[in-house]
Amino acid sequence: MTGTVTGGWEFVAAAYGITIFVVGFYTVRAILGYRAALRKVSPTSGETS
Amino acid sequence: MQLAATLRKEILLQWRTRSQIAAVFIFGATSLLLFSFSIGPNSEALRLYAPGFLWLGLLLSSTLTLSESFHLEMEERALEGLLLLPASDRSLYYGKAIANAFQLTLLGIALIPVMVVLYDAGTTRIPAMIGVIILGAAGLSAPGTLYTAMTSQLRSQQTLLPLLLFPLVVPVLLAAVKATSLIILGDPMGQARSWIILLIAFDAIYWSLCGLLFGRVVED
Amino acid sequence: MTGISEVSFAAAETEDQPRIRRGPLPYILLAVGTLVILTGAWIGLFVAPAETFQGNTQRIMYIHVPTAWAAMLALMFAFVSSFAYLFNGKWAWDARLEASIEIGTLLALLLCIQGSIWAKPTWGVWWDWDPRLTTSAVMVFAFAGILALRKFVEEPGRRATWSAVATIVAFIDVPVVYFSVNWWNSLHQTQSTVGNIAPAFRVPLYTSAIGFVILLTGLIMLRARTSEIRLSEEIAPPLEPVASVGGIRS
Repeated sequence: MTGTVTGGWEFVAAAYGITIFVVGFYTVRAILGYRAALRKVSPTSGETS
Repeated sequence: MQLAATLRKEILLQWRTRSQIAAVFIFGATSLLLFSFSIGPNSEALRLYAPGFLWLGLLLSSTLTLSESFHLEMEERALEGLLLLPASDRSLYYGKAIANAFQLTLLGIALIPVMVVLYDAGTTRIPAMIGVIILGAAGLSAPGTLYTAMTSQLRSQQTLLPLLLFPLVVPVLLAAVKATSLIILGDPMGQARSWIILLIAFDAIYWSLCGLLFGRVVED
Repeated sequence: MTGISEVSFAAAETEDQPRIRRGPLPYILLAVGTLVILTGAWIGLFVAPAETFQGNTQRIMYIHVPTAWAAMLALMFAFVSSFAYLFNGKWAWDARLEASIEIGTLLALLLCIQGSIWAKPTWGVWWDWDPRLTTSAVMVFAFAGILALRKFVEEPGRRATWSAVATIVAFIDVPVVYFSVNWWNSLHQTQSTVGNIAPAFRVPLYTSAIGFVILLTGLIMLRARTSEIRLSEEIAPPLEPVASVGGIRS
């Protein structure tokens, strides 16, 4: 609108960084959560009584 | 008709417990007072923000009146008995929703003089004010009644009801505050009508939607 | 109306059980999606030219717009899952509902964070009352509230039904909120987020977008599987039918 925005790489890095971190963290958590749930219900994990 | 019977029962209940709505009015008025302290003795700003504070006060008070409206059913497990009647959940919903809207309207109208005094925010366009209050109260009541029915079956109603209701009624808040503001501060371009149409649209959508969904919320 | 309430009894009577699903598909989707996103990000950061007015901060759009599309898709899928559950009562749909609400809420939160980071160098403020940004914020609260609701309801059938109802109500509110804020905004003439992307920037944008959608699908699938497994633990399996009615097996 008025002028040009110079630089700004730190904002770009922040936006990309936060997004990748959050999405990555959630993905890892989803994978680990799934594997943990599978382990709980699989037949080999059955205990006696 | 069952709706008329439900409505009559609800209004009768409200009349019998009118001391409770008086207490809620005091809560609402106190809220308006506290809001004014957040601004201080700046009469310009007070007048400008008066509509916002009025509707915030009404919104906060609504959680009190709404949770009261299902109190009796929850206590005596009367809900199940009521639902055994045929075509019952619809008329139960609309009966309660109309009664709640009515109660909120009364509350809103009662808070107007408080607003006029505290914020010097008066208007001569009384019918328009009352119209906006009715539409706004209806907008709060439709989803409010649905969510109150849900949350009153849980222990954590006090937290969950505002949590679920408040984000939902943002359009009502926006439109009602804008319309009220235009009525009080002047409306040279006639914009109030658009906000009122928005309120009517919200009410139309939610009064039909919540009526349809109510049955699933109270079934067992 | 009677159709809807009759189905609730059907759900109780059918022997629908939550299934334990396996298979590599979600992992494949996650891997492919990640690769595509990284490719798109690389193009957007290092290959595409800087925009005339916003300079380099415009590159945030290469991740912001795909996040927005992914958030909307996730919540749309939640909306569809709500209807599906209310109509056929299958637990798989409740699992998918939980997954898509969780992911949709997270993406909407990311949207607010990204939009805020974009707004600061561009408009000088951390928050502008842009309709899209404001609607995203309302969405975060509305759907986080539904996640909170799920934590407080112990009975799985009720939890599923109520989440579905709440999701339908909340999702229908999204366009209403957007429209109200838009109208309110246009009166105040506040700045709005730049929406249209010029053709030169479309390659990195669409690449990232496709990557996000693939990743999203994999995530929802995976998360839904976990929910369904947990549901299967909550809901006891049906008892073995007795061979002779009222009799004693010898």
